[in-house]
Amino acid sequence: MSEKDFSLAVFTTLSERMREDWNRRVRYDYRLWVTNTLTKNAELLDEGERDFAVFKNIAQQTKRGVALEVGCGVGRMLPAAKRVFQSVLGVDISEEAIQKARTLLDSASGISVETSSGFTLENVADNSIDYVWSFASMPHMPTRVFASYLSEIQRVVVPEGLVQLQVFLGEQAPPNEFDTLRMRAYTMSALESACALAGLQVEVFEPITMPLSDCLSELGIEPVVMTCRLSESPKGSIEAIAAALLPDTPELYDAMAPCADFEAWLATHYADRLHSDGDFDRARRALEYVIQNCKTTTVDVSDIMQRLEGLSDKRESPVMSTDVFEQNMACLRDVCPAVYSQLVSFRSADSKRAIRISGSEDGPVLWSGKTCLDHPQKPIRAAEAWVKRTYSEEAVQKSSRIIVVGFGAGYHIEALLADSSKRVSCIEPDIEVLYAAFCARDLRTVIPRLESLVLYEEQALELDCNDAQLIVRPQAIIVSAEKAEDIQRHFYATRGTQSLHPRIAVLGPLQGGTLSIGEYTTHALQALGQNVRGIDMSGFNDPYMLVSSLIRDEFKQKAARQMYIETLSTFLLESLTERPIDILICMAQAPISPKVLMEFRKRGVITVLWFVEDYLRFTYWKETAQFFDYVFTIQKGVCIEEIRKAGAGRVHYLPTACNPLVHAPVELTDAEKERWGSPLSFVGAGYYNRQQTFASLSHYPLKIWGTEWPTARPFDKLVQESGRRLKPEEYNKIFNATDVNINLHSSTERDGVDPTGDFVNPRTFELASAGAFQLVDERSLLAECFIPGEEIVTFSSVEDLRQKIEYYRERPSERMAIAEKARTRALRDHTYEKRVEQMLEYIYAGSYKRLQDRQGTNPWSQMIEKASFDPELQRQCERASARGADPVLDGIVSEIVTGHGSLTEAEQKLLFLHHVKKQILRMDKGGAGVKNG
Amino acid sequence: MKKRFPKKQKVLLVNITRLGDMLQSTPTIAGIKMENPDCHITVLVEKQFESICHIIPNVDRVISIDLTFTCRALAAEGTGVIEAYEYISKLVEELKAEEFDYCLNMSSSAYTALLLNMLKIPRAGGWTADAEGYRVIESEWARLFATSVHYHNRLYNSLNLVDIFRCSADVEQHPEHLLVHVEPEALAYADSLLAEAAFSNSGPLIAVQAGASQAKRQWSPSRFVEMIKILVEEHDARVILTGAPSERAIVEPIVEQCQSNNVISVVGKTSIPQLTALLHRAEVLVTGDTGPMHIAVATGTPVISMFLASAYGFETGPYGNGNIVLQPVIGCGPCNPNKACSRPDCHDLIAPRLVAELAIERTRGIVEYVDRERANPDEVLVYNSYFDSHGFCNLKPLNVDKSDQLLRYREAYRKLWLDDLGGFEVEDAPVIEQKTTSKLTVLDDGIEGLVDVLDCAENGLRLIEDLRSAIFDKQVPAAKLREINDGLATLDREIEELGFHHSPLGALTKMFVFAKENLKGSDALNLASQMKEVYGDLARRCKKLGVYYSTIQ
Repeated sequence: MSEKDFSLAVFTTLSERMREDWNRRVRYDYRLWVTNTLTKNAELLDEGERDFAVFKNIAQQTKRGVALEVGCGVGRMLPAAKRVFQSVLGVDISEEAIQKARTLLDSASGISVETSSGFTLENVADNSIDYVWSFASMPHMPTRVFASYLSEIQRVVVPEGLVQLQVFLGEQAPPNEFDTLRMRAYTMSALESACALAGLQVEVFEPITMPLSDCLSELGIEPVVMTCRLSESPKGSIEAIAAALLPDTPELYDAMAPCADFEAWLATHYADRLHSDGDFDRARRALEYVIQNCKTTTVDVSDIMQRLEGLSDKRESPVMSTDVFEQNMACLRDVCPAVYSQLVSFRSADSKRAIRISGSEDGPVLWSGKTCLDHPQKPIRAAEAWVKRTYSEEAVQKSSRIIVVGFGAGYHIEALLADSSKRVSCIEPDIEVLYAAFCARDLRTVIPRLESLVLYEEQALELDCNDAQLIVRPQAIIVSAEKAEDIQRHFYATRGTQSLHPRIAVLGPLQGGTLSIGEYTTHALQALGQNVRGIDMSGFNDPYMLVSSLIRDEFKQKAARQMYIETLSTFLLESLTERPIDILICMAQAPISPKVLMEFRKRGVITVLWFVEDYLRFTYWKETAQFFDYVFTIQKGVCIEEIRKAGAGRVHYLPTACNPLVHAPVELTDAEKERWGSPLSFVGAGYYNRQQTFASLSHYPLKIWGTEWPTARPFDKLVQESGRRLKPEEYNKIFNATDVNINLHSSTERDGVDPTGDFVNPRTFELASAGAFQLVDERSLLAECFIPGEEIVTFSSVEDLRQKIEYYRERPSERMAIAEKARTRALRDHTYEKRVEQMLEYIYAGSYKRLQDRQGTNPWSQMIEKASFDPELQRQCERASARGADPVLDGIVSEIVTGHGSLTEAEQKLLFLHHVKKQILRMDKGGAGVKNG
Repeated sequence: MKKRFPKKQKVLLVNITRLGDMLQSTPTIAGIKMENPDCHITVLVEKQFESICHIIPNVDRVISIDLTFTCRALAAEGTGVIEAYEYISKLVEELKAEEFDYCLNMSSSAYTALLLNMLKIPRAGGWTADAEGYRVIESEWARLFATSVHYHNRLYNSLNLVDIFRCSADVEQHPEHLLVHVEPEALAYADSLLAEAAFSNSGPLIAVQAGASQAKRQWSPSRFVEMIKILVEEHDARVILTGAPSERAIVEPIVEQCQSNNVISVVGKTSIPQLTALLHRAEVLVTGDTGPMHIAVATGTPVISMFLASAYGFETGPYGNGNIVLQPVIGCGPCNPNKACSRPDCHDLIAPRLVAELAIERTRGIVEYVDRERANPDEVLVYNSYFDSHGFCNLKPLNVDKSDQLLRYREAYRKLWLDDLGGFEVEDAPVIEQKTTSKLTVLDDGIEGLVDVLDCAENGLRLIEDLRSAIFDKQVPAAKLREINDGLATLDREIEELGFHHSPLGALTKMFVFAKENLKGSDALNLASQMKEVYGDLARRCKKLGVYYSTIQ
């Protein structure tokens, strides 16, 4: 350490405190701090493996030599790391933890653990480690210690080595340096600056999911893995690094500052879980631990004392009052008739009740299983404390509206309403909770003062996010996890749609059916008013295909094509450097290399793959999934799990759809009917199962359209127009001119109908949207899209198909009725606009903050902000940004046209500038308007 | 003289990008003041030319626009665009606050037109824009300006743009030269520069402006050297080469090759007022069509000016008496100013000796005649500038005896516009009846296509009558109205095409096109009346042009 660095004494003081704290914690119960498991060590290691998986593609990025974990605790991640590296070293300040690690890991070879000083890696040689990682450790370290470790990591890692540290992104008041169990968050720029001073260059911040993620987002902090590489020699002292992390590095010790809140919270939470599990002794010990060791906490210790006393289950019997309910309902009827009706229906339904009511010091509280939806003893005081904490958050302070998820018994809502400066809305995910609350408490002073009260029961939720903050109560997450997540998604998606204007690019494939899906996706985004740019790569397909005519060897062909893709990727990178984007949506088989995808991610672009293919047949996702922040699939279940395991950020189901502008009923001339029409048609490529099925239908008046069909009998007569590739408009004519369209999903290995077939092909939606009648083979996911027998007719086998052909050929009116229903459903639920909306919802919900931060650096945002002196100019900029124009004058004026009504003054000023620029450019070229002197 | 807005109080003159234009507007500015002594004149000018405005008489206020800043901000993209916008907004507010009652736009640029529309000044000469952003040219003189500078029509015009511009501002009284103040300090500086020069000759002091705004309009340095050597060695002349700092690379080699203490360069040593003073001291300036040419004219120093490539002496020639204009005779000239030229053969048609001798002669007085032996009229036409009886500048050929075909057209058009637009009494003016049937007798002499244009104009008048009847008669089906409209559209196209086909008619038909473009309002009857006037104007002008052309021999 240099002279300018903190004195050794400072570090000694801090490390003594860290050692003392962590020894105590581990001594008490090593599982509490690191795991969800209560008893089993094997589960502890499993969780270690799960958590180690957040560090992706390590093997591809560095040598698999020596790895080091900083803050390894009891070593739960070390065995997982050992599966990747030849040898693994873990260091931790706590002797107790290291001792426990030695016991847990027994004599596993290649894994070693050591205690450290707590701020240096004194036992690790310079330039000796290939990979350094840290998980759930750095954020707990005092800022000074974190700074010291950054410097030390730089020292020990080899030049081409990799550093991946789990940290939190966010802005918060600097905590007490003596708080050794605390989720410290730093801003992205602070971390980058600090690393740069330490001689490390941050490559990427990768968002990850951690336990308690929901609470973290409520706190406004985001868990990420920060990936760094060695850049050069350190440029700054530890003091400078710490200052870069937190400009006002807190005082070493502030006696007044609480420093054990998180510890107390973890222990009481642990006690709750133990208690729920019936382990009262350990639950009691956990609470005693809080009382003894968390003296500086703001958590109410007297309350803990009471909980200790009440550990034996003394819950009171439910208190239900019909009178109270009726009074509340009378109040609700006028204010919120929709919820009123829902509660009336609920009361009359004879459903099993899971919410119980018990008494407390302040009044009735609600319980769902073993979770109390309010504070079990002092709900009023707890609610007031919660409100105080909530209002201390900057984001809440800035908002005029608060939307709370979870009504409970209504104490916290009441406390929120006490501050009249904010409008308060509440969404309750569970109708029974609201029903119980209405039975339990007189809420007549609360109900009319709410801006809105919503029962969230279905997917459709209309949220007014304008100037609002969403606060999800942890109890709501426990009781209605999925719904709470849905609400959060809706909220951030809605807010994103209203306030984010990301620049999106849709990258199509070189060829194939996905080409048109890419176009439909682009058009749908345009129709939704998004700032989108479709990148059509199909023009590059011919050279790609020509490779096989030049090179015979298949292996070399593949290599040549790969090189070609690399070249195209470079073009793409250049193109998107010229016109930067925020979201890149790659369609399946889009020609983009991992290297360029990595580069985009490094630049903060959100990478998305819409994998509209069978994941079992096309397996390239195994190599590429890891480069995408979002992967959307047309299959569910194992597919999603597998792609997630392959390293994709978030994976969601998103089936294909129809484009009603293309797939629509059309009037055909007689000549067209003659050309395209038939009693029976099939459109699609000649896959194995189709050949096999349609050969057996050759005695029917069947027309087959599409490529890759045999030319032998019987196909010589069935296949139309030499099996050429058709355009979407041509498909649509066939659909419209055919009595019965057969839609058989392809299979390369099964005969006839694939009994395990799951996803729904685009043709199903296209036929439905065209208003055409189809017989489609059974698919497990089809019933989610269309009601079989009502909106669509399915067949389970070739024999079944034959019977249904015979039946429906004779019944045109039945066909028409079903086709009409299918069309109605397709237009309502299965358009590309709907799909793209859903896709954006997931992206906005998952990456709202990231996009918002990016928006701040987007030139359009800067222009829009700077144009605040002239609202009309601001609108012009917003419109230009939304239509994807470049952030230059020409981009703004491109849609200002003379002769289309009066120009506004802002339009005239912009045109003025446009003409000035044009004229000056001409003059610079020595052209018109040359100066006379 | 016919005038639209003779009275003016608060005048804005927009002349943004050209130094020469600013000087060329000085007779107009002076004329406005002469006719409206109490008026207040503000000039809006590009920042780099602001200093010249301070030495222009009669200007009360100068407001500058910094186009360099604007373009730099626009080039910076992103928020630069907003900065440029903010800058322009402030300028617009500043100009609006002045509450001008009259504006005159010297520039034909789209942006100045838009700017004036934003200012909502009630009366305008020159170019403005309407609310939808379309170009509006209300003044017929301003339309003539646009017509005359159109490449198709340039050769048929003999009215100096200074006069056309002056008339578009309804100015009749005016000085017959450009105006500029020669400041005493600047004069002292010029004298000191001359005193420092170690001239051994004692003959005439001749200034030479070798640089020009475009390479193709700049006579080659070797010719300048040759010309200067003749001046210095044969005529005892003292030569000063002027120019802006950017012209050093042109001028310095000339000085070097002359190898004479009687040739000095003051390039980069003078501000505009100092250059003005220096040119005032010179006895003659040899130059191309440049800003310094106009300065010299304004200071009363005669010029020998070469109108090379796209420059055309009748259009922008020296506005004053007794200046020499040399116009090469070449099929491609005057050429399009927007096109580069890799082989400017027109330069070779002017002999250095001729230029040198004309310069010397001019120091002795007005040049009345140039021998064809010295200046072959098949290669170069030599003109002397003068003012006609109506106060309009013109050029008199010095090396030709008879009028050629172009001169005849120019003269006919000159009479037409002075008569028809200006209301001046012109020699041989015909009496034109609105419904004359004498077109054959008047027009059969000569301008090919003129009868066809006249036919079209008269057909137009008939169709307009049909249109008016159809508008009044509610029984007439919509299809009939459409048919008449289609007929008018076809006719208009035919008129325009006749103008392209018969180039001497281009100015006539272009004026018609501008008039049609400037019809106002949307009321059908009102539009029909305006259109009637436009066709009537065309018919009348056809007849007048035919008469004037036929009377010129």
